[in-house]
Amino acid sequence: MYHQRPKFRFVMAFALLLGLVGAPAAQDLTLPNQPDSLKFAIIGDSGTGSSSQYKIAEKLIASHAKFPYEFVLMMGDNLYSGSGAKDYQKKFEDPYKPLLDSGLKFYAALGNHDNPDERNYKPFNMGGQRYYTFKPKNGVRIFALDSNYMDPPQLQWLEKEMAASGSDWKICFFHHPLYSSGGTHGSDLQLRAQLEPVFLKHGVDAVFSGHEHFYERIKPQKGIYYFTSGGAAKLREGDVGKSPLTAKSFDSGYHFMLVEITKDALHFQVISDQGKTVDSGALPRVSDQEKKKLSTP
Amino acid sequence: MLTLALPHAYAPQKPPVNADAQVLLDFKARVDKYVELRKKVDDSAPPMKKTEDPAELRTAQQGLAERIGAARSPAKQGDIFTPEITARFRQLLRPEAKDPGTKAAIKDDNPGNIPFKVNGPYPSKEALSTMPPNVLASLPPLPKDIEYRFVNKHLILRDVRANLIIDYIPNAIS
Repeated sequence: MYHQRPKFRFVMAFALLLGLVGAPAAQDLTLPNQPDSLKFAIIGDSGTGSSSQYKIAEKLIASHAKFPYEFVLMMGDNLYSGSGAKDYQKKFEDPYKPLLDSGLKFYAALGNHDNPDERNYKPFNMGGQRYYTFKPKNGVRIFALDSNYMDPPQLQWLEKEMAASGSDWKICFFHHPLYSSGGTHGSDLQLRAQLEPVFLKHGVDAVFSGHEHFYERIKPQKGIYYFTSGGAAKLREGDVGKSPLTAKSFDSGYHFMLVEITKDALHFQVISDQGKTVDSGALPRVSDQEKKKLSTP
Repeated sequence: MLTLALPHAYAPQKPPVNADAQVLLDFKARVDKYVELRKKVDDSAPPMKKTEDPAELRTAQQGLAERIGAARSPAKQGDIFTPEITARFRQLLRPEAKDPGTKAAIKDDNPGNIPFKVNGPYPSKEALSTMPPNVLASLPPLPKDIEYRFVNKHLILRDVRANLIIDYIPNAIS
């Protein structure tokens, strides 16, 4: 016994070390966190007002201390089951209060559960429009689309705005994923037929969507990076099917994303409600020439 | 015969009126009339603005819906989608709705069999069906803030700002 004691102590100390350091280590930032990069977070299908939304919100808020992201992109379904004043409060204002109070901006896209009138709600920063674009930093342009209603005027607007965006990083976000291995919804082929040619023509770099209540990183498609992030409050466990599209998926817990754009790469980290990093990496920017090659059949 | 026919041949011709185009012109005129009515009742109230107070959004939307509802009363199904317009719309929708992918997309976010009525609000707790881009491209364009949506198989015409159902085509797709 006596001889075992130091060993026991050592094992306990090691276990404690794992417990204290190991779990938080999973939350550690894997992003470069460079001073001059563009940093933002992503939440999708967040507006339930449930305890899972609040849990993810807590993690999102906590991560801001380590990774001072400048804004949050919302992938749609920002308010489920109604858009009265109480819904805005319970499903948006309360969970993200510390971020909102600090002046951090949220930019929303509309989902199929959203009242399009949300565009007039100032904290969603939609400028009264269903689709809009903004330039958060020199060299990066972001496009928010309304994938529920992709009518000809929206497509014409997108063409025009993309043509004018020059050599900036082009990042799009909208609710319905063009590529997905989800069993419930799957890829939106009609939307893909309309949007992908525009994305290829103008050299879009990355696309973020929600709608599917899980996380999926798609293998680059014709030089474009696609992410689905629709699990900030809703979860469809086991819904990601086996598919050649998937580079990485996570459907056993809620999650949010952190993204950093440096000059030549898109860095990302996906964090679960358990505080674990479920995916992370750096994707190099694909040159327009390469994209053209990749998009030629 | 030739001499008799000549005056007709050389007389100024009116462009031939395509019956289908005429029907769609009629649709446009009816929608424009609705928009004019909305503008009239809208001008009588303070303008809707971007706000941080969601209660203001709801009040403005409901107020607009009430004023339009009163001004249109008694509106009924078929005021805009007349039998001729309905027939033309079903024709336009048929090829698109036959495509299995499009059919699935319409069904995907569809709220299903929910109660609604002309001049009434779109149920605020229900999802809005996603409109496949090919379907939207096949239908006549609409003025700003008027949109098409599906509720089950019915095609509704919805005022986005007032969240009001303007009219609908029952069983627009099979």
